[in-house]
Amino acid sequence: QEVDMQAQADNIRTVFNDPKNFNVKHPLFSPWTLWFDSAMTKGRNLPQTPMTAFPQTPQPQTPGGLGHAAQGWMEDIKRVISFDSVEEFWGLYNNIVPPSQLPPKANYYLFKEGIIPAWEDDANKNGGKWSIQLPKDKNRGHIDKMWLYTMLAAIGETCDPLLAEGEFDGPPQSLITGVIVSTRPQFYRLSIWTRTAPTGTGGAEDDKLRERIEAIGRNFKTSVLGYADAQKLQGPLATEVEFLSHKDSEKKGKQTRKIVV
Amino acid sequence: LSGTRGPIVAPLPSALATARVIEDLGRIDYPEGIQSPQVELNLNAKHGKFRYDRDFLLQFMAVCKEKPDSLPPLDAIGMEPTDQNFTMSRGGSGR
Repeated sequence: QEVDMQAQADNIRTVFNDPKNFNVKHPLFSPWTLWFDSAMTKGRNLPQTPMTAFPQTPQPQTPGGLGHAAQGWMEDIKRVISFDSVEEFWGLYNNIVPPSQLPPKANYYLFKEGIIPAWEDDANKNGGKWSIQLPKDKNRGHIDKMWLYTMLAAIGETCDPLLAEGEFDGPPQSLITGVIVSTRPQFYRLSIWTRTAPTGTGGAEDDKLRERIEAIGRNFKTSVLGYADAQKLQGPLATEVEFLSHKDSEKKGKQTRKIVV
Repeated sequence: LSGTRGPIVAPLPSALATARVIEDLGRIDYPEGIQSPQVELNLNAKHGKFRYDRDFLLQFMAVCKEKPDSLPPLDAIGMEPTDQNFTMSRGGSGR
């Protein structure tokens, strides 16, 4: 029935058909929460805003949950907003400050809802991060696009190229828990946090995991950040795209296993 | 008394608040000039667990500009642009 089909088509209005009166929205693979902190706000007693407008940072109280360290870490990190559709993401993006305009010691943390941006969260504690450090003077003009592309890969769930190869029936489990941009006086840092990290035990399972983690790193370097596959990035204040498990990060300087792509 | 003008009219809910979640991407017809999401990313998609490529997502940038109702005032969370000349809603293609 041609008429019915036409009527049905008329019934579905995306934001592209009608920016004011659209009636469908594009759900994200996962809901996300944006967090923010800045040296300028550390310890500052910020004016209260209504609870509805400014949800308080949750303080997980579960037994075996966050330790003291994480609570301290989270104290100055403000929960900005949660969203679960493409349309909401852009409404947010178009109304906040891009990294190039942030003060010299600030961080955005975009994490899946329910996961706090701390090593101690159950979803992060066995994981690690891919990160790159970029000198500020050379990258001031690129950082906003790099951060946007990192966020789009996260919310579009394309950070983890081998995701679809999951073996089970339900929706495949993504290895990504969140992405971070940090501004510092001399450099920027971008990171992608993963749920797991290879332990280097050499088992088949661990090899497979390492392969998947490496695919995330290569995709980050080439598709997200736009570098050539074999490009050398290390330089003054600059690092390669490198992976470190959170457990190794804690060791600071002792034996650590870094993966570089 | 000034309280006789009747109840304060609540603003209409935004389209965002009432829009339904898309369950089947294949049923959406995008207007001419708008690129559909990459089909390969959602071959086995279930339960609205969709993946979206960057080019598809970037198309929303110039369209979805409305400030979310639940966004706290930026100065209340210390998120103020360092450049005083900076203005929000950059729009454009972002490339």
